[in-house]
Amino acid sequence: MSTYLRAREIREEPVVTLAGEDIAQVKDIVFDPMRGTLTCFTLSGRGLLAGPLKRALLWKKVHALGPDAVMVRDGKALEEDDQAARESIDAPGGGHVIGARMMTEDGTVLGTITDVIIETGKAPQVIGYEVVSTAQTGRTLFLPVIKPSSVSEEMVVVPACTADFSAGDVVGLPAAAEGLRRRLEQET
Amino acid sequence: MDWWIWVVIGLAVLAAVASSVVAVQARRRSGDVIAGGTRPRGGRKGRQT
Repeated sequence: MSTYLRAREIREEPVVTLAGEDIAQVKDIVFDPMRGTLTCFTLSGRGLLAGPLKRALLWKKVHALGPDAVMVRDGKALEEDDQAARESIDAPGGGHVIGARMMTEDGTVLGTITDVIIETGKAPQVIGYEVVSTAQTGRTLFLPVIKPSSVSEEMVVVPACTADFSAGDVVGLPAAAEGLRRRLEQET
Repeated sequence: MDWWIWVVIGLAVLAAVASSVVAVQARRRSGDVIAGGTRPRGGRKGRQT
């Protein structure tokens, strides 16, 4: 069964081995903006004075992603360095999506992204964004994201019909995503 | 100056240093959600589909 988590709920989650050892903490969540799939996590050490770790956790090494912890088989699940994450983060395009504006292909700003909604399961993926609406001053909306035209540090450009499928809460987002998927299939 | 004034000043400096270290570490640890980029292929720029 899928559950829906806000990215802010996953950030700072502990990374725990199946043996019960707390080995790290999630720092950044890196995803493929076109497919929506999670790629990897960057990590921080545990403890008050621990800084970022120069090791990444690739999604394929994750045993389970839960609401309270990211589970891995053992300490070997962590990469020896953070090169895989850096390659994805430092490559051109993409960027930090929190704070970016969401705009339709017909030039309407839908709002500013305040969080990312992730559907958990065997292959968790980003299904939508929490957005503070520009048109409805300050109102929080949940907008599904399927086939974005582009994603950059400043802007996420989505098909124009995305605006027709907003939800008022996370619970309504899967239905909105399904509606958008059908509309896009009809249009192609 | 009385000795206790130096003690108070010393404690204040220690508290300031400790709180700034904790604040810097907290900032370094707080993460973000990052859309991964792609390496350019054949001179194509950006992530247009």
